[in-house]
Amino acid sequence: MPFVAVIKKELFSVLRDRTIIISILIQFFIASFSSGLLLGVLSLYDADTILRYSGDSIRIGIVGSMDDPLPALMRERGVNVLSYPNLGSAQAAFYSGEVLAFFDTPRNANGLTELKLYLPDQDTVSSLIRMVLQEPLKQYENFLREKNGIEVRYTNLHGKPATSFEFVYSVLIPMLMFFPAFVAGSMSIDMITEEIENKTLQTLLSAPLTISRMIGAKITSAVILAVVQCIMWLALLHANGTVIQNKFLILLLSLIIAGIASTSAATVAAFLQDRERSQFIYSLTLLAGVGISTILKASPITTISRLAIGDAYTNIWNVLIYAGGFAVLYWILLRVSQRLIN
Amino acid sequence: MNQILVIAWREISRLRKRFGGNGSPIVALVLMAALGFSAFNLRDSVSLGNGLYRVGVSGDVPAIEDSRFSIHEVAPEEGQALLADRSIDVLIVGATVFEREDDKSQFAVRALKQYMEVFELERVAASFDDGGAFPLRVGVNAVDGNPPEASVEPRADVVIQTVKPEEIIIPSITPPPAPFTQVLITLIYILPITFISIFFTSSFMDEKANRRLTVLLSAPVTPFQIILGKMLPYAVFSISTTALIAYFTNANVLLSLAIFVPTTLFVFAIYLLVPLFYRTFKDTTFISMLVTTLTTAYLVFPAMFTNSSDLAYISPLTLAVKMYRLEPFGWREYLLPSLPMTAIFGFAVFAGTRLLNEEFLMGYKPITRKIGDAIYLMMAHSQPWFAVLLWSFLVIPAVYMAQVVMLAFAANLPVGLIVGAVLIASAFIEELVKTVGIIVLAERNIVNSTKEILWLSFLSALGFLVGEKLLVLASVSVVAEADVSTALFESGIFLLIPLAAHFVFVSMVNLLRIKLKAPYWLALVVGTIFHFAYNAAILQNGG
Repeated sequence: MPFVAVIKKELFSVLRDRTIIISILIQFFIASFSSGLLLGVLSLYDADTILRYSGDSIRIGIVGSMDDPLPALMRERGVNVLSYPNLGSAQAAFYSGEVLAFFDTPRNANGLTELKLYLPDQDTVSSLIRMVLQEPLKQYENFLREKNGIEVRYTNLHGKPATSFEFVYSVLIPMLMFFPAFVAGSMSIDMITEEIENKTLQTLLSAPLTISRMIGAKITSAVILAVVQCIMWLALLHANGTVIQNKFLILLLSLIIAGIASTSAATVAAFLQDRERSQFIYSLTLLAGVGISTILKASPITTISRLAIGDAYTNIWNVLIYAGGFAVLYWILLRVSQRLIN
Repeated sequence: MNQILVIAWREISRLRKRFGGNGSPIVALVLMAALGFSAFNLRDSVSLGNGLYRVGVSGDVPAIEDSRFSIHEVAPEEGQALLADRSIDVLIVGATVFEREDDKSQFAVRALKQYMEVFELERVAASFDDGGAFPLRVGVNAVDGNPPEASVEPRADVVIQTVKPEEIIIPSITPPPAPFTQVLITLIYILPITFISIFFTSSFMDEKANRRLTVLLSAPVTPFQIILGKMLPYAVFSISTTALIAYFTNANVLLSLAIFVPTTLFVFAIYLLVPLFYRTFKDTTFISMLVTTLTTAYLVFPAMFTNSSDLAYISPLTLAVKMYRLEPFGWREYLLPSLPMTAIFGFAVFAGTRLLNEEFLMGYKPITRKIGDAIYLMMAHSQPWFAVLLWSFLVIPAVYMAQVVMLAFAANLPVGLIVGAVLIASAFIEELVKTVGIIVLAERNIVNSTKEILWLSFLSALGFLVGEKLLVLASVSVVAEADVSTALFESGIFLLIPLAAHFVFVSMVNLLRIKLKAPYWLALVVGTIFHFAYNAAILQNGG
């Protein structure tokens, strides 16, 4: 029973301090901040989004014939193209606000095609126009290559802009599922080093409780908090209309990762016995762990992304591998924690 | 000065002793090496969407080396079956690409398009001469927006006057300008500053937990000397790191220091307050995480809009982005982010000197009580009228920063709700900071009568208004385009109307709480509603 008592005590103290709310707030903030950032980025730096919202108002003048492929390519992209007989009238149209920018007629020089683009001297407008014109100009370049007999393959691919999809499944969901695990690790260090530095550990051990059960209880309470947060995030994402497959496996993986983070953190704390160094070494371990696992192509971040999109080749075995790692780490912790008794 | 140096030296010795033994330097070094190794290995391969797409390939298909794709070698018929049952997202047979209509397959096709474009360019560049591989040159010219004469008669043989030298680009290999790369570089400056200041926080906590701080306080040194002394080694280390980064990234070292010293002071200010308020170790972990998140958001979010909106100048990173682009900026642009940050540092050091006493540090109380005590300690040393006036004047930079963070936070709401949400949140923050000082004084029976409450409410409104207008004066030409900022700081011509408005809202909240004993949150909600209605009216009339 003392095991359950320690869990209760830790959970109660977290609820009493109310600081767990800060942690939830941070996650909510990071999630909304990064999607806010993505929205800003999309609207400012993504030609597809710019064209969808203001394609019509982007008017570009071109001197000469409309038979050249460049105007057609720009039109295809959604840009409003106006033709002018000479450079003077294009310039006049620019000053009267009829067009935002204008092209002179393409010229041939030493086998190269030269094209002059005139833009307003304002960073905001000119970078927007250059972003929008990038794709038609690239296609025009391909057209010229083909004219020279150079074939460029895979030019007819289109698809849909994938930034949002990639962000949600490879950044947002892994972040929301693993941030609680990261916090659980930090909390495990706090719970253990606080007992050591306040010299309450020996008192606690005078209760009928072994050191390994005491640490086990502290890790369990940290993991419980992490899993509760993950359930909350899954429910919120579901309410938000985000489709997530394999919810049970995702929760299981989050639980295991929270266990791994807490166990590693507790091992560091039992070894170093003070908060300052433990938190530092734990943060480094975590970052190095993420890096190394990505290099070894065994990153739980990829696994959770694949589970969430319902990847055909990812199943419970990909999750259970981490359970094996968790067991090994826990065994190491049991050895190291004996140091605390002496 | 001597005392400060003695404390600084003691801090260095403490740090050396702590990290000196028990194998931890070796562990830290090994971990850092592992981190460096993985960062080096992953520098080109990690992208958004790691491992998301499965691609079936058959026949002569280029090798796809991109972490977003998992490649499956299949026979054409088998590939078609896998594509149909959604086991793979795209099938490439030779030069032909097969896809499905659903979103996932379409996303994969777009990602593949990005990869193949680059691959094909490299192939073409390697197999053909420059003229054949890159047959197009675009000369980009900047033209002054104003016509050279009153009216330009269209003439066929005109020579266009340009204001900058022509920039020649090859579209397929010249990405359009976007500040991301530079924003990422400037983040390299922030990371060490944050890391070092976390050590600074830990040092205070360590001294607090071991009660050494109490001993230090009983020695003949002032709290001010203790704070500066303990901060000095970390600040020197941070500033040296900034200079080194600038040197190795070929930036102007002095300019980088001018940009990042206020930022460093700001980050240290925030991390100075963390150990003063914590009650348990878990508190520190959570509070540190919160301030790291908020400061990063405050610094990074506006910089993403460099050259797109003038609001970007509220972050010093924008100045750094400009520095890396070799673009000039003026004093106003420099002072807009730097002044509030330095002011917050000054405020935090002042708060620190008042709060650094044993009773405050060791007491366990609910966090709201603790904040109330802190505000009281800051005000207790002067007359209430002066304290209230100064308080509402000095908190302006903090309010300003909080409002920017709100803006970042609200940016993911539907467009129609952004302004409304930011206005409500900022009205709430303003009412909170303007009234909290008076409420704290009333709770300690320093202020009682209605007359006193109204007089202090007036002073609080006045202090806030003066601070607010000074800030508007400093920033209005820089952020002229940013409507939201103008609305937040109500740059009305008649100062009496905003003063009266502030006075009414502040008195309302104070009287509700102190005289009618309404809960503070309820009084604030009422004040916020009236303040919001007033702001909305100003915004509607103005726009």
